[in-house]
Formats: sequence, structure tokens, C-alpha cells
Amino acid sequence: MNNFKNNLTSLLKKTLVLAVLFSPISAMAVESNEVATLRDQTSIDEQKTPNVIPKVDNKDIKQSRNYPMQPPVIPHSTRNYYINLNNNKCMSCHSRQQTEKSQAPMVSVTHYMDRDGNFLAEISPRRYFCNQCHVTQLDAKPLVENNFIDMHSLMKQKKADEK
Amino acid sequence: MTLNRREFIKANAVAAAAAVAGVSVPVTASNLITSSDMTKLKWDKAPCRFCGTGCSVNVGVMDGKIVATHGDIKSPVNKGLNCVKGYFLSKIMYGKDRLTTPLLRMTNGQYDKNGDFTPISWDKAFDVMAEKAKATLKAKGPTAVGMFGSGQWTVQEGYAAAKLMKAGFRTNNIDPNARHCMASAVGGFMRTFGIDEPMGCYDDIEAADAMVLWGSNMAEMHPILWTRVTDRRLSAPHVKVAVLSTFEHRSTDLADNSMIFTPQTDLAILNFIANYIIQTKRVNKDFVTKHTNFRQGNTDIGYGLRPEHPLEQKAKNNGKTAGGSSEINFKQYAKFVSTYTAEYTSKLSGVPVANLEALAELYADPKIKVTSFWTMGFNQHTRGVWANNLVYNIHLLTGKISTPGNSPFSLTGQPSACGTAREVGTFSHRLPADMVVANPKHRAIAEKIWDLPEGTIPPKPGYHAVLQNRMLKDGKLNFYWVQCNNNMQAAANINEEVYPGYRNPENFIVVSDPYPTVTAQAADLILPTAMWVEKEGVYGNAERRTQAWYQMVEAPQGAKSDLWQLVEFSKRFNIEDVWTEELIAKKPDVRGKTLYDVLYKDAEAGKFPLSEIPDDRLNDESRDFGFYLQKGLFEEYAAFGRGHAHDLAPYERYHQERGLRWPVVDGKETKWRFKEGSDPYVKAGTDFEFYGKPDGRAIIFALPYEPAAESPDEEYDMWLSTGRVLEHWHSGSMTQRVPELYKAMPDALLYMHPDDAKARQMRRGDLVKIVSRRGEVQTRVETRGRNKPPKGLVFMPWFDASRLVNKVTLDATDPLSKETDYKKCAVKVVKV
Amino acid sequence: MKNILKIGWQTLRKPSAYYSLGALVIGGFIAGIIFWGGFNTALEATNTEEFCISCHEMENNVYEELKTTIHFSNRSGVRATCPDCHVPHKWTDKIARKMQASKEVWGMLFGTIDTREKFLAHRRQLAQNEWTRLKANDSLECRNCHNFDYMDFTEQSPRASKQHSTSLASGDKTCIDCHKGIAHELPDMKGVEGWD
Repeated sequence: MNNFKNNLTSLLKKTLVLAVLFSPISAMAVESNEVATLRDQTSIDEQKTPNVIPKVDNKDIKQSRNYPMQPPVIPHSTRNYYINLNNNKCMSCHSRQQTEKSQAPMVSVTHYMDRDGNFLAEISPRRYFCNQCHVTQLDAKPLVENNFIDMHSLMKQKKADEK
Repeated sequence: MTLNRREFIKANAVAAAAAVAGVSVPVTASNLITSSDMTKLKWDKAPCRFCGTGCSVNVGVMDGKIVATHGDIKSPVNKGLNCVKGYFLSKIMYGKDRLTTPLLRMTNGQYDKNGDFTPISWDKAFDVMAEKAKATLKAKGPTAVGMFGSGQWTVQEGYAAAKLMKAGFRTNNIDPNARHCMASAVGGFMRTFGIDEPMGCYDDIEAADAMVLWGSNMAEMHPILWTRVTDRRLSAPHVKVAVLSTFEHRSTDLADNSMIFTPQTDLAILNFIANYIIQTKRVNKDFVTKHTNFRQGNTDIGYGLRPEHPLEQKAKNNGKTAGGSSEINFKQYAKFVSTYTAEYTSKLSGVPVANLEALAELYADPKIKVTSFWTMGFNQHTRGVWANNLVYNIHLLTGKISTPGNSPFSLTGQPSACGTAREVGTFSHRLPADMVVANPKHRAIAEKIWDLPEGTIPPKPGYHAVLQNRMLKDGKLNFYWVQCNNNMQAAANINEEVYPGYRNPENFIVVSDPYPTVTAQAADLILPTAMWVEKEGVYGNAERRTQAWYQMVEAPQGAKSDLWQLVEFSKRFNIEDVWTEELIAKKPDVRGKTLYDVLYKDAEAGKFPLSEIPDDRLNDESRDFGFYLQKGLFEEYAAFGRGHAHDLAPYERYHQERGLRWPVVDGKETKWRFKEGSDPYVKAGTDFEFYGKPDGRAIIFALPYEPAAESPDEEYDMWLSTGRVLEHWHSGSMTQRVPELYKAMPDALLYMHPDDAKARQMRRGDLVKIVSRRGEVQTRVETRGRNKPPKGLVFMPWFDASRLVNKVTLDATDPLSKETDYKKCAVKVVKV
Repeated sequence: MKNILKIGWQTLRKPSAYYSLGALVIGGFIAGIIFWGGFNTALEATNTEEFCISCHEMENNVYEELKTTIHFSNRSGVRATCPDCHVPHKWTDKIARKMQASKEVWGMLFGTIDTREKFLAHRRQLAQNEWTRLKANDSLECRNCHNFDYMDFTEQSPRASKQHSTSLASGDKTCIDCHKGIAHELPDMKGVEGWD
């Protein structure tokens, strides 16, 4: 019970801190450590016990993109999927010729273009290392929210405003 | 808007009927928004905010918000590609904890070093700041005032800051975080060539037959250059890639020859290659005779620790003589490197002889065009300048330099490490265009361009990055302004040498940042800052490419750019507050004026009217001050380099181009410097000319292998190397706030060999303490991650604000470049 | 010398004058057990991971690579050792495999793969041997632990359960068809089915 109370107090305090920090000019002060949003409000000469290593999201549920050009994140584990001089494990499912068997999404057509925009018969070697743009997602809760608004929501808002 | 099936059929029926009748129905009849008024995005170009590669990015804006970013297909650097960080640039400005008001530590309405952060107005913030700065100047003089800046500043911001400090406050205590990153590269260039920055360019990649990565993990740190290297390697099968590192990582995946060496022995490997070239008689004698000199450098130069440290006491050349050298000839040089045989080097480094010889052959074979790449492996090294000198040696011995594909290529970490930190000269010893404060002629040139009296710029170099922290701790630096970096997370030995200085009651610390970083947490005053495309600016990348962008969106209400902060703050100082009467007497017309008038408004920087800004462009700073500030600062700065082999194009041109590589002469950029025909500064008939040196010759240095400052022993039995990861930019202050990037790599883990873990009864995920002589940090063990250290070495990235690995690292620096060695110290790992 | 041999030979040829037939049969039986047991013990000794990685070729290449994979370290700690996957469990198959393995002794003696470079140069061939064997025996060594009949598809990821309930169930595919490179790094995969 005590624990619960502590948690609640801490939660309330954090909410208050966020409210103070993110409302323009307010008269309220915050304790110096409370600004440490990425450090869980811990002072610099201390350290909170690091959380456990989160698991890789392996549910195969596609995540919608923030904008059409965003590289999709990988919805499955890629443990021991090698991409090296010998082979590219990703392409054994995602290349054009494998997708019928694998039912995996085909890599974007842009991936067949060389530096000068010409289409090649195979994936362009400049796109060989998939992991430079495509990343798996771990089951970790972001420390700070992000207020990015996608274009569709903006348009919907505008349409709603027009009416 | 969702339609069920019935509604959908109905909508289609209406549309069909309407089409037959020849009438149109309102657009709302479709579930797609198609009206161009609605769907149109405003696209513009900007260089990426992150690494030194300098990719160009297209930024899509809707209703004053960034809604999309993607790689610019028109950019020669990245041709439409971005790495995962670059693709998520759209979200870096929208972290929920953006700072929007200055915060001052206060108790009962008064500034108090131990008070709570209290929102105050900008006016009040500058009042307190100015009061503190003036009090410090009065009590202790200009050497007690200092600034720590950034290779992420725009060119204009760096220039305005350098001018404010060096000419305004008359202190050379300004240094950029590029000191942690590029200082050894600068030292290497100046020592070998007498002029900074690479002679080649990224076009070398497509021309090379072999590429060698020296302690660089390009696959993660320069991903888009890695796409070019990969493209070259895989599309031209004769091409070979060699990767040297102290642990296996993603760049190993493309390596034909992967070499894991014992830390610090890269110096021996470099000398072995020189020896191999000489022994197998493949020295390019014609080139060496015409274009090089040989010198023997001083040795036993110490480790840049505090002077009382036993290692410094012991070193023979620990002071001014560290950079000294004497003339030798080729024979003496050949004898010097002859001790570095394959067998000796193999034993020292742990790299098999066959691998060493295969590597050396890439350099020795006259038919192979070879490009070497390096970044922090060489630069963050207590012999970093030496490592740079030694790699130039092997390119000079073979004449494999300044021609397509033959290129010793020093890469940069930050987006404008070259453009701002190096070219503008925001270092404690530098002035723009490679000039230095210690040289009276250079000071005179700067004073002339700035229209200031002789003697304005102090001749003594100021405190460099590491020294600034030591001086804060010792109470000799008392007013300190940190902009655009996160040094409480980035600097080595936080416990002993960084945190104490920030919290020293004698000091007043100001930190400007868009987000509450660890450094902001340690500050006394936090200023909320506008970032990236919330302002106009110029960046310079690793291949001398200068790129400009316009302001595209408004910053959050209350946040102001570093540039605005610097210039606005200068209004608080009358010239009499900062200059001596003696100096003012030399130029009486400055009397009664403010620093703002003297340094910016009445200078060249203030000459361009607002009318030169395109009408449809935002520009908060210029519209506030009443003149085109960014253009003025750029043009004033460009005067330093024009005609002196650092020529920049007129400002407007950069808004049209996807960047240009300097020197830009007669409107044309320069791809390969020092080579006749491609560099307009090379005299006809010389073929090659290293014109940074008075006789046009580059120097080949005889420099030995010397051990690291701290090596593993019985108690601290492992090497610790720190570094970056693909998903996070430096300290993670932007990328940790992008959910997709955070979730891809949320925590800094300790990468360890499975056998080392087993020997300590540890397994993946175990909570451990990394302990050094200086401090400790806790994290979790990773035995099967992307980095695979050999037995005896552990790796931990430093992006994680909650797990500060720099509490453990050693603040040993290269005595020549003053750059910290973050790649080597001794630690033990124990279970918690 | 010749005499000694002659006496020995005659002793063996002559019917026993001293031992009863029963004693001889029992003795022979015991000796047989000892020899047989010894043979099997020796065979089993070569069938341990310690034996496999006593050669640096195995320890520094394939074993080092195994350490980071799920067959080495996983949730339940059920670990695969080298022979679990690479030596058949049925005795006759095991003997056949061991006979083949005598070739590997030559390989070790003559240093066929005694450097990383040589190992890498042979990796495709070595891997191909194992793929061929596992394809031919319907991935028998996989199935020794991973029994299709007891797989709970609902516990598998959607991709896995789909493939297992269709291609694997119908016998169209066997484990090794998809699960190449799960315990060791892969060679150049040019021309391998499903990879090109």
C-alpha cells in the first residue's frame, strides 16, 4: 500500500513537472533533477538500477508509417539473420522472386535503382545492408512522448475545420 | 472518415449517376483526400542534422509542421538515401519535453546555485547572465570567461561565437566539442601538409580498387558512405575491403580482410606497412624525391593528463617539445621503420602475418588504387596526431594521394565539424582559414577584417575542452556558456573532472539546448534553443562540401536559436565593460557602443538588408535584428579564405546547389586538392604541390609505437572501448526522443565475449558494474549483440543518459591535439 | 623368436587341456563385453563436444559462431551440442557417419582447414555436406528434439506457424530447407535453393 502511495506521489510529481516544463512561462519551480527526463529524474552522481534487456517485438503486425517515405520497421525478430559478403538473409523472403513463397512484403521498387536512378535487374548493392534503414523494435516504453503529427491527421483536422 | 460496405456502394452509385449526368460531386464523396490544396507539401532541402557525411535531406512541411523527410535524390552525397536516423529527422523536434522557457536555479526569487529550476523571461535570463559575466571579467579578467561550442553549430553561429569571445570578451577560452572528435585529424593535417582537411572527396569511393577502414565502424557511424563503399565492393568484384578494429562489428560483414588488433598497436601496423613498401622496393621514388621531406618526431610525449600525474612527470617531452621534430633522410627513415617486421608487428598486435601482408600489399601494389578511411579509432587516441601522420606516410611513400581512388580520407563525426569547428576556427588556438592566435600576422589579418584595433585578439591560446573542465574544477574558469552539445555526458572522467567543475560554487554555468540534457541538469541557467530547420544556416561536411538551408518552420514559442542568443546577448555589453582603456584609445569611435554594434551591426555582418531574404522565407533572427544576419556573417567570414585556398562561393549560390566543395574558384568546386589540373592553387608544371608547406612538400614522419596511457592489469583486467551506435546520434538527446529509434536501441549494454562472461559467472542480461580507478557505471551484459569483442575487451556505447559510461573513462589526451582517448582504459566487470 | 611365435600359435590351435568349455565361453563373453564396451566408450568419447572442439579448427570457427545462437543459449537452457546435430543417434547410422569422419582425421593431419582463410574457402562444401545429409534423412537430427507432432502452432510467431502448418506438415519441405545458418554462419549462398 505504501509502495502504491509512493508510486502515486511520484507519478503526480512527474505529471506536475511535465506540466511546468511544457507550459509556456509558469511561475513554478522544479527541483533540479526533475528536468532529467531521460534519466528518470535521477541526480548525476547517482544511478537507478538499469531495467532488464527488453524482448524483440516478434508479433508480425505491420506498423503504419509516419510518412510514406519512412522505411518500415521490422515486425519480427532477426536474431542470427546474417547480412554479409556471403549472403543476405532478408532477401530469402523479401526479394521479388521469393515473395510468392514467403508471402512477405516485397522490398520497395526504389531498392532496384542505382545511384543514378536506373533500374537494375537485382537489388542495388547500395541497398544491400537492410539494417542501415530497417530496424527491429524492442518492447521498451519510450522515456519521452513525441508530439509529431502525421500529414493525414493534419488534413483531417483541416477538413474538419472547414466544415 | 470510415465507410461501411453499404455506404461505399451508395457513394459509388452516386458518383456513377453523377458522371452520367455530367455533374461533379463534392470531393468529400471519396474516402481519399485528393484536392491539391490539401495534399500539397512544401518541400525544401537541408543537410542532415546528424553525422559528418553531410547527406542532403528533403523536408516536407504542412501547416508549419514538418511532416516528412527523405533522402535528396539531387544530392551527389546520398542520391536519395538516408540512414535510419536521417529518415526519422521529421520527429527530432517534437519530443514532448522541448524546452520553451529559460530556467534559472532560484530560491525565494533569487538566483541560488543550489536552488530549483524556475522559469524566467529571456530578459531576466540575460540580465543575470550579463551580471555574472561582468562580475567575473572585473574580478579575474577575460581568462575566467569561457565557452564550449560545437561542430553542430551552423557556420554562422560558430563564427559569431568565436568573434564574441576572441574579439568581444578578448578570451581564447572557446573550444568546440569537435575537440573530442577531430582535433587529432587537424593536428595530423597541419603537421604533414600545413593545411587542414582532406585532399580527396567521396568520389574516391567509386574510383578505388581497395578500401581500408582504420578503426572506423562506417556501417554504423557513416551509413550512407557505407552504402557507397558497399555499392563499389559488390558491383565491382575485384575491389577489396579491409577492416581493422579492436572488436568485430557491422563493418566486418563486408570485409575481405578483417583484422582485430590489440588496442594501440595500430601505430605498429602503420609502420609495418611503410617498412613492407620499402623492403619490397615499391617506394614511388620520383614522387618521394619531388614532393616530400622526412622528419623524425620527438617521442615520449606523455598523455595529456594533469601535469602532476606520474605519467606526465615521467615523460621526457611532455611540454612544448612534444610536437618537435628534426630533419632526417630516406635512409634514416627506412632504418627507423625496419624494426617493424611482419613477425614483430604480428606478435604485438595479434594480427596474423598473412593478414598483415595482404593489407600491406593493397598499399604497396602500384596497380591498386587505395583509399583509407578513419575517424575516432585514430583520432580518439593518445597518439592520434601520430596515427594520422603515419597513415599519410604510406600514401606519400607510394604517391597514392590526391588522385581519384587514391586517398587518405579523414572522416568527421559531426555535421559541421569541418565547416564550423575547423574552417571557422572555433578552437582555443585558432582563427578562421587555418590561422592561429599565437601568430601575430594571423591576428593582424583577423583584426583587419574585423576592423578592430591591433592587439584586440589575445595571443595566448585559451583553455581547450579538457582543460576547461579542469579549470572549472580548479575555480579558474568561472563564467561558462555551453551551446549545442552535451558535455556532461560526452566528456571523459565525469566524476573527477567534469561534474565537480559545474557544481563548483564559484562558477556560473549556462547551457543552451532544445532539450533538458544531462549537461542542462548540471547547469545554473538553461536556455531553450531552436534547432535545425527552425533556423537558417550553413554546414560543412567531411569532403569540404559547404551546404546551406533556409528556416522552414517556426521554433516552439520561447525557443531561440544559438545565433540569436549570441547576438542578442552581445547587446548587454558596452565596449567599456570588456575592453581596456588602452585598446579603446586605439579606436575611439567604438566608445559608447555595445559589442552588438561593434561586432555585428556596424561590421560587414550587418551590411545586408532584409530585402535580400526571399519574401516567402522565414528568418526569425534577421527580422528581429533588422538585417540579413546569416548572409552578413557568412560573407564576412568568407573574406578570410577567399584568395587563400579556402575560397567559398557567394552565399546565395549555396541555397541553389546541393553544396560545393571548397576551394570554389571561378564558380567551380575542387574535387582533388594538391594535384595539378584539379586544384587551381597548384602551380603549372609541378604535378603535385602541397602548398600548405612553404616548399610545397609534405612531410613523412618517423614516429614509433608507444604504449597506451592505461592498459589492463591484474585488478582492472579488461580494455574498455566506448563509441556510438547506428540508431543514436552522439548523446541521444534528439534520437532517444524518437520512439522508433528509442525502441530499436533503448539502452547502452556492455558488449562482451561469451567466454569472458562465463569466466565471471555472468550471462546475457545480468546486471553488472563496470569499475575503473575513476568511477563505476551499471548496465546489462550483452554476449550476442551486433558488436563482438575479443576476449579481454568490452565495448559500451555512450548514448544512454541514464548509464553514463564516461564516469569510468580516463581523461588522457593526445598531448599534441588535446583530444581524449575514449577507446582505451582499464576496467573490471563485476556482478551486482 | 620364431619358436615363441610357433608355441603361441600351437597353443591357440590346440583344444584346451586346462580350462573347461564353460569357463571359456563365460570368459569369452566377459572379454566380449569388455571389448565391446571399450569400443562403445571410445566411440562415445568421440561423440562429445569436448572431443569435437579439441581441434582448434572446430573451436575457433564453428563453435565460436555457435555461442551467440539460440542453439547455444536460450530460454530453457536446453542446449544442442555438436553431436546432437552432426552425429546420427541410431547406431548403424552413427557407425556409418564415424567411418566418414575418418576422412576428417586426414583433414586435420594435413591442415586442410587449419587457418580461418582455408576454413572459409571450404565452408560451402562443408555446409553442403551437412545440408545434403539432413535433406536426405528428412532433418532427422533436428527432429530428434523438434518433434512436429508436438508443436503448438499457437505459441509460434504467425510466420512460423503458417510455414510449419503448410509446407512442413505436407512433407513438401523439411527443416533444413528453411533453417540454414541457424547455428553457424553461412557460406556464399549463390545458387542455393531459396536464396537466389
